[in-house]
Amino acid sequence: MKKISTGAKIGKKTTNVFVHILLAVLAFIWVLPILFIIMVSFKSDQGLQIRTLLPDAWLQSAKAAHPDMFANVTRGFIPTLDNYKKLFTDTTNVFNFPQMFVNTLIISIFSCIISAFFVLSVSYVMSRMRFKMRKPFMNVALILGMFPGFMSMIAVYYILKSIGLTEGAMIRVALIMVYSGGSGLGFYIAKGFFDTIPKSIDEAAYIDGATRWQVFTKVTIPLSKPIIVYTVLQSFMAPWLDFIFAKVICRANKEYYTVSVGLWNMLEKEYIYSWFNCFAAGAVVISIPIIILFMVMQKFYREGVSGAVKG
Amino acid sequence: MKFRKVSALLLAGAMCAATVVGCGKTSSSSGAGSNDATKAAEDEEITATITVWSPAEDQSVDNGEWLQKMCEKFNDEHPKWNLTFKYGTCSEGDAGKTVSADPSASADVYMYANDQTQTLIDAGAIAKLGGSALETVKKNNSEAMLKTVSIGDDVYGVPFTGNTWFLFYNKDIFTEDDVKNLDTMLAKGKVAFQLTNSWYIGGFYFGNGCSAFGADGTDESAGIDLTGDKATEVTKYLVDLAANPNFVNDADSSGITGFNDGTVGAFFSGSWDMSNIKIDKSKVGVVAAPTYTLNGEEKQIKAFAGSKAIGVNPNCKYPQVAVALALYLGSDDAQISHYESRGIIPCNIGAAANEKVASDEMANAQNDTMNNKSVMQPTFKGMSNWWTPAENMGKSIVAGETTKDNAADKTAEFNEGANNGVVK
Repeated sequence: MKKISTGAKIGKKTTNVFVHILLAVLAFIWVLPILFIIMVSFKSDQGLQIRTLLPDAWLQSAKAAHPDMFANVTRGFIPTLDNYKKLFTDTTNVFNFPQMFVNTLIISIFSCIISAFFVLSVSYVMSRMRFKMRKPFMNVALILGMFPGFMSMIAVYYILKSIGLTEGAMIRVALIMVYSGGSGLGFYIAKGFFDTIPKSIDEAAYIDGATRWQVFTKVTIPLSKPIIVYTVLQSFMAPWLDFIFAKVICRANKEYYTVSVGLWNMLEKEYIYSWFNCFAAGAVVISIPIIILFMVMQKFYREGVSGAVKG
Repeated sequence: MKFRKVSALLLAGAMCAATVVGCGKTSSSSGAGSNDATKAAEDEEITATITVWSPAEDQSVDNGEWLQKMCEKFNDEHPKWNLTFKYGTCSEGDAGKTVSADPSASADVYMYANDQTQTLIDAGAIAKLGGSALETVKKNNSEAMLKTVSIGDDVYGVPFTGNTWFLFYNKDIFTEDDVKNLDTMLAKGKVAFQLTNSWYIGGFYFGNGCSAFGADGTDESAGIDLTGDKATEVTKYLVDLAANPNFVNDADSSGITGFNDGTVGAFFSGSWDMSNIKIDKSKVGVVAAPTYTLNGEEKQIKAFAGSKAIGVNPNCKYPQVAVALALYLGSDDAQISHYESRGIIPCNIGAAANEKVASDEMANAQNDTMNNKSVMQPTFKGMSNWWTPAENMGKSIVAGETTKDNAADKTAEFNEGANNGVVK
């Protein structure tokens, strides 16, 4: 078979064209909301009326080239950084965004460390050790994991209140507890990964006199970088983006608001007109720590278990 | 399977413990409901921490920290009381949800919008006013205003401003005579109205004899009356209105945006939108909603009138202090200071007569609407059925689904939904 018939070639090409058009349309639909919010964050006119998402300069040049296009839009918006400036400098009025940002960062970093540790520990135990409760526990975890977390939010609130964690600075502790406390239950994916690491490596370490803790930290962890990256990202993003628990626990304590509660408040009737652009700017800003974290960690994705066991 | 039983027991135990502890706190501090701020109480030495919740703007440095100043002044005026204040942020619109969620851990004194009165009562989160406090509130407020904070004969809050909508217009486009009638306005320029917003659309129906819970909004058994020709005629008028080329349906704040860039000559909104108006303020006129001409007769558009008020939490430790503080924050002086710092329009008869307030066009428009050109926004539970059917009615008129031919059927459907909560 040296030659492919031209008919098959054309057939393949047309399929490819269709697939690519479909993918392009889907990609456009998927990216549009993100693009929308980024454009809004640079918008100069206040309010949530959006006539066009094109900056004025682009619109004018587009109109010059095609006079029929955009006939009913006279001008685009003048791009501005004022929304970002307002977000970070207008702190004495209604919203103190920098403070919310710092609150959320503190909560997320601590929750991230604690819950990543929980998840990895539980996964290791479930993957490597054999004990009587293992199977029942895995079943219970699976069932509990099916219930949405916010189902228990009122109960969680009252429990935290009864031990005095819903007042003042303890709110941060309460939120860290809420976000990291139950995270151990999400061990399934990491356990699945640990199961793929050959037990013979562990056994070799035991023969050399290693303890279980040493095996976990010196053997398993270094071999599981991809799943650690995944776990850390997940445990950072969950508290960073959570709204419901933060809203229930922060209540009227403005100084402990997290970004999601603050951003939600910006959309209230009284504020929406003057803060809508800042809301968009805030939405763009909160994605930055996640992007940084991802960029730092993604290089570990490539390193895996390859070459760990020889022969 | 033993494990499950044990864990269930443990969980149940933890829940019970939490509930018991929670309840303990509640019961120890409740039951002080409607104590009065009597003179005797004022002589008592009290050292206490009072929690006050208000919208963020009342406490912001940019607005001169109105709440903090008032509270400190209150403390100074009561030498026997040594009070420390703790401030929380909760907008009036959110108070119903936030305070009711856990009254025992909420503010002693908070601000709320009057449509949440029933929710707050049901949650045991608001105290009835009595004695001298009641007298003061009755003396300070107009009949219409007092009704907004009452359920039956009981008064629950100290009102500090009205909550209603009226007309903003551009004086370059409309004259003072034009804005007396909506149809005259439509002949001259573009008018935006929030036809798809259920807080606004009712204004037309109530102007033509329809009613919500009786003529004055206090008769729960009367229900919402949108029956017969009086309602159908209004629907037909609205169909014409929506088709008028000079009519702009104000959705997603297109009214204010159009007003600012000159494409809309007038729009309907409340006092909160004044600061969002960017055109020269001397060109902006504010009056109560106009009349509209229905089959040759002039009918007044009647806005829903509500209020924002200061409530006292019955779970607070020192009800006499909390009630006195609520009265103080709703006093003439505090209202005028509120007006000066944030433009919150006073509603007390005394404060509204203040020369600065009396010369303010918007304050006059709001108080005129409240007292003469509005219907009281009912606070009954049944009112919750109003919002979705009313919004759907507006949407179907704007979308052209409701026409003059099926106006009677659609109006009957609206009436049915508003009374029984059936949403089709």
